Amino acid sequence: MQAFVPGIYPRSEELVQATRDLDRGRTTEEAVDAQVERDLQQLVAAQQDAGLDLLSDGMLRWQDLFRPLVEAAAGLERGALTRFLDTNTFYRAPQGAGGEVRLVEAVNGRYVAPLPAERLVTLPSPFALSQGTGYTPREVAEGILKPQIDATTAEVVVLSEPFLAREDAADFDGLSSALDVLHGGPPLALWITFGDASDLLAQGLAELPVDGIGIDFYSTGIDAVPDGFGKHLLAGVLDARNSLLEEPREIAAFAARLEEKAERVALLPNGDLQYVSEPIAREKIARLGQAKTTRAEEA
Amino acid sequence: MNDAHTFLTHEIGSLAKPPWLVKTSAGRPLDASDIEHARSWGEKLDVDGYEELVELLRNGAEDSVRDVANWSSRYALRLQEKAGIEWVWDGEQQRTEMYAWAIAHANGFESRGTVRSFDNKYYSKSAVTGPISLAEPYHNDEFEFLKSAAQAKLKVPVTGAYTLAIWSYDEFYGPREGRLGKGESRAATIEARREFALDIARDLIRPNLQALIELGAEWIQIDEPGASTEADELELFAESFNVSVEGLDCTFSTHLCFSDYDLFFPAIEAMTGCRQYCVGFANYDSRELGTKAEDRPGYEVIAKFRDLPYDPALGLGVLDIHTNFIESPELVRDRILYAVDVFGDPARIHVCPDCGLRTRSWDVAYEKLVSMVEGTKLAEEALSRSLAEAR
Repeated sequence: MQAFVPGIYPRSEELVQATRDLDRGRTTEEAVDAQVERDLQQLVAAQQDAGLDLLSDGMLRWQDLFRPLVEAAAGLERGALTRFLDTNTFYRAPQGAGGEVRLVEAVNGRYVAPLPAERLVTLPSPFALSQGTGYTPREVAEGILKPQIDATTAEVVVLSEPFLAREDAADFDGLSSALDVLHGGPPLALWITFGDASDLLAQGLAELPVDGIGIDFYSTGIDAVPDGFGKHLLAGVLDARNSLLEEPREIAAFAARLEEKAERVALLPNGDLQYVSEPIAREKIARLGQAKTTRAEEA
Repeated sequence: MNDAHTFLTHEIGSLAKPPWLVKTSAGRPLDASDIEHARSWGEKLDVDGYEELVELLRNGAEDSVRDVANWSSRYALRLQEKAGIEWVWDGEQQRTEMYAWAIAHANGFESRGTVRSFDNKYYSKSAVTGPISLAEPYHNDEFEFLKSAAQAKLKVPVTGAYTLAIWSYDEFYGPREGRLGKGESRAATIEARREFALDIARDLIRPNLQALIELGAEWIQIDEPGASTEADELELFAESFNVSVEGLDCTFSTHLCFSDYDLFFPAIEAMTGCRQYCVGFANYDSRELGTKAEDRPGYEVIAKFRDLPYDPALGLGVLDIHTNFIESPELVRDRILYAVDVFGDPARIHVCPDCGLRTRSWDVAYEKLVSMVEGTKLAEEALSRSLAEAR
């Protein structure tokens, strides 16, 4: 059983202050860069201390799930400030700018920071990135995500998907076609964040052409997962929208139940940890590691 | 309607804090640019006695934080009054932030750190951990001071119950354990939030409003930027508004922003005590001129506010507060004229920014507000002309 933390990680109070100061002209880009580096080192240490299997860079420079890719692409531009699901956090919704959608230059080390051990990379899923742009998921997969993934070195690419579970009639054919395009590089996982995936599972979510499927188990009942689940099951067992701290023993017991349904299980949050403050996120990571250890000892 | 209709103008609430207040509050030293900021803006805005502030800052104001905050309130009032705004507030100069200020004066909450709002903007977030009550009325001191300092009329912005609930973590009303793998029960979640929001409305907001009314508040704006966070909780938002204000003798309005406004209908039909909705639209609108529906895509939804059965006014957001783009008076004019055309009754249209201007510099905020007032005058002139021509 693995454990890891994809998605955007919260900034430390020091980085919050540094970026505030930058906006107010009280500090320099270099000083903020130095603090980002310190945050990254602390995040790496937190993951290593917890015994996580793949490291994440926490996407500390990403303004939101889409922005660096939108800014690096032709055919897309930043749209209106939009509430992210039921949070008080907002993002610039991508919008179509016309013409062919393509990545002009892959986002670099500034946004995909080098890490000292095996890592994951998080990108938006083609469905999420295409929302509201006028392009199909396949078009953004071909034009943006595929070249970005080709430029990426990772043990797994986690495709974050916050919107699909809220669709009344998800277009699985369109999404499947888009995901097909992305193969040929690292294994892919489709991470359904912050939403009930029951209907998606019933419609064949597990048949999509990816290696892993991420499920939010604070919104989704375990019974929705079919027995003999054939994919790597990325189990969202940390509630990234709640300050309550999870009990490692409860997670471990739940993981044991999941292992009866799927051969391969990984423990992770149910979405980006940036919706809690950094100290809480750090403690949640520690507890995720404890849960994994507890489960390993019991197995 | 007569030939010389004038539109009521107002601000929404927040305005950036000047560097000399931020630094003094944080115990940091001032530099020459901070003192020049106080001098130049004091001069520009004709703040009575601003030289006294400049002198105070020059001599070291570390022991005079309250005085400096009062000066900041005077400046913020004058910034809006000088721009020509009719109903003003002090840009919340004496509050920490709309959420944190209310929570800091409530019992039953504990801080849980800082969370990003967007880009490099953040807010402090707390968790409800016990029974809620008002620790002390938290707008009385500022209202008393502003009454003595304002030349224009005062509209008091107060953060609403539903927004306080939805922006908080719940460690008290909902289940603390046993949620993993159960699947979310929306009914149970909504019921927990209902209890939470109504406790805030009844035991925190309402007594705070009563205290303001006793001090003479005439117009209180209930800020609910979180109102549409959950599409299936709009009735709860309306219920919490009603519990907050029902039977109180004051004009109440509510501020909504950055939402899919269609979601509010029909739930807000129940908010009969709401006499005005001030709503952000410019963020979604084109910057091109024009008064036809196709020219004003950001305002598509306003007919739904028009059709509310209790005929509230609409505070028409005409300034996008997320950009430094200065809306031209002509653009403001066209947005107003389009709204008048939809509503038919200009008396039901008020003019305001989309939201508080806290994220803009004073230079930008002032320019935007001046442009808003100029655009409002252009709309008034255009309306007068069209009425005269019609006769």
